[in-house]
Amino acid sequence: MVLRRDDWLDLSRKVDWTYRYVDERDVFPEAVSGSPWLAHKAWEDWNEVYRTTYREYVANQRAKDDAVLGVRSALNKGHIVEGLDPGWVQLVKFHNGALALAEYAGAVAELRMARFGRDSAWRMMATLGGLDEIRHTQIPLLLGHDLLSFDGNFDWTHRAYHTNNWVLIAARHLFDDMFLAADAVDLAIQLNFVFETGFSNLQFMAMAAMADRAHHHYFEKALASIQTDEARHAQIGHPVLRTLIENGAAERAQYLVDKMWWRCWRLILALTGTAMEYLTPRPARTHSFKEFMEEWVVDQFMKNLAEFGLDRPWFWDTFVEELDWAHHSFQLGLYAYRTTLWFDVALPDAEERRWLAGKYPGWEDAFGPLWDGLEERWQAEGEPGTLATALPALCNLCQLPTLFVRPGRNTACTAEVDGRRYLFCSEPCRWIFTREPGRFTGHRNVVDRIVVGEAPGKLTDLHRWMGLEAPIETGKDLRRGLDRWRLEPVPTA
Amino acid sequence: MAGGARIYLFGYLSHDFFGRVIVTPDDQTVGRLAEQLRAWSWEPERPGPFTVTNEAGEVLDPSRTLAGAGLGNGDIFTVSTEG
Repeated sequence: MVLRRDDWLDLSRKVDWTYRYVDERDVFPEAVSGSPWLAHKAWEDWNEVYRTTYREYVANQRAKDDAVLGVRSALNKGHIVEGLDPGWVQLVKFHNGALALAEYAGAVAELRMARFGRDSAWRMMATLGGLDEIRHTQIPLLLGHDLLSFDGNFDWTHRAYHTNNWVLIAARHLFDDMFLAADAVDLAIQLNFVFETGFSNLQFMAMAAMADRAHHHYFEKALASIQTDEARHAQIGHPVLRTLIENGAAERAQYLVDKMWWRCWRLILALTGTAMEYLTPRPARTHSFKEFMEEWVVDQFMKNLAEFGLDRPWFWDTFVEELDWAHHSFQLGLYAYRTTLWFDVALPDAEERRWLAGKYPGWEDAFGPLWDGLEERWQAEGEPGTLATALPALCNLCQLPTLFVRPGRNTACTAEVDGRRYLFCSEPCRWIFTREPGRFTGHRNVVDRIVVGEAPGKLTDLHRWMGLEAPIETGKDLRRGLDRWRLEPVPTA
Repeated sequence: MAGGARIYLFGYLSHDFFGRVIVTPDDQTVGRLAEQLRAWSWEPERPGPFTVTNEAGEVLDPSRTLAGAGLGNGDIFTVSTEG
C-alpha cells in the first residue's frame, strides 16, 4: 500500500536530532544562525504552508522552465524585439542590470539559511530557495544574452554588479546589508518577510502585467514564473518572525522590519518607480506606480504586520508623502545624470505629462516647470545644456543622491559619528545609520571616494571609473538621436 | 583668490530638487558660495535677494568666510530665494 503524502512528509522534513558529541551552539553559532539564540525546542514547530518535497520541486520547476523557454522558442530569436517600444527595451535593460546578479546574492543568502537555519524544515525550504535564486539569475542572463545582438548594453545584465556604477553601488550596499552580511534569522525577516512578501510582488507581478500590455511576452512569462518561486520561499519569514515574537524578541523584529522596509523603499522608488512611470509605453500603463504600491505592497504588508501584532514603521507618514513625489524627483536626477547610466532615460512627452498630472495631482505644478526648462535648454543649448555636471550629494546610508521629496521639500540631514560628519537623504536613513554605526561607517560612497582620491573628480572621467565607455555605452535621451553603433532603431510598437 | 584649507560642503537651493557637492577654500565668503551654487541651478530663474542658512536653520552673514560662519567638511547649507 502506498503511503499518503501527509503520512510520510514530516518524516522526511523533520530530521533534526539530538547532538551527543557537540553542543548545539557550536553547530549553530549565534553569529551566523542569528539572535536571539534559542535552543531547538523553540524552533521545532517551524512550518510553512507549501511543504514542498524535492521531487515535487523538480517536477514543478521543469514545467515552469518549459513554459518560459516555450515562449522564447515561439518568438524566434531573430524577431525577439519586434514590436517592442524603445522605452520598454530600456526598462528591460535597467531591470536586468539591477536584478540579475542581485538574485545570485539571494542564492547565497538562501544557502546560508539552508545550513544555519534552526530547523530542518526551514533548511529544506531554504535549499529550494537557493535553487530558485540561481534560476532567477539564469533567466535574466538568458534574456539579456538574447537581446545582446540588438543592443550591446544588454551585457550589463551580467556586468553591472562588477562595476563601480553609482546605481549598482547603491544596490550592492542594500543587498550586502540584507543578504550577504546577515545571519539566518535576520535573513528570514529582511529577505523573506520584508523584501519578498513586501516588495517582490511589485517587481514581478505588476511588472509582468505591464510587460503583457507592452507585448513583451517573453519578459512577462519570465517575471511571472519567477514570482511563483518567490511566493513559495518567501514563506520562510513568517514562522521565523513568529518564533522571535513568542520568545521575547518583538523589539528586534520590529527594528529589522522598519529598517528593511525603508531601505527597500529607497531602492524600489529609484528603480521601479522611475521605470514604471517613465519608460513604460503609455498604452501599457494601467496603474500608476503609487497605485501599484498601494495595492500590491502597502495593503498586503499592513495585513502581514497586523498578523504579528507589529506596528507600522515609525516613519510611515514620510513614506506615504514620498509615494506621491519621490520617484518623480528621482527621474529628474536620472535624466540630468543620464550619461552615468547604462540605459537611456526619457523626458516625458505631452501625453505622458497629462497622464502623470491625472494620476498625481500637483505633478504639473511641481515638476512641469523643471521639464519645461529642460526642453528650453534643448532648444537653446542642445544636449550639453541638459546635462548636470556638478557632483550630486549622496546619502551615506542608501548611497543614492539626496534628492528632495519634491521641489522645495528637502529632507537632507547630517550626523556626526566618531568625529566625521555624514550626510543622509532623510531622517530614516540617518536613524538606521546611527543605530548601527559599526556596520556602516567603514563604507565610502562615491563622493567620499572622490574626496580621498580613490575616484576621479570630474564627472566625465567618472564614466570609465564606473565601467562606461563614453559615448557609445552611456545613457542618452530616449527620444532624441540614434545611437551610431545601433544599425537600426528598435522598432516602435 | 582665496587660499584657505579646501573643504567639501553640500549645497541645496530651496526650490531645486537635489543637493550638490561643492569643494571650496574655507576662506571663501558665504555670499560667493551661494552665487556659485545658484549658477548651477536647474530651477527656473529666481533673481533677486537670497538668504543662506545652515542645517540648524540659522541665517549666515554673506560677508563672512565659511570658516567664520562655522561651515566645515560635510556640512549642509541652503540658499533660499524669494518668490
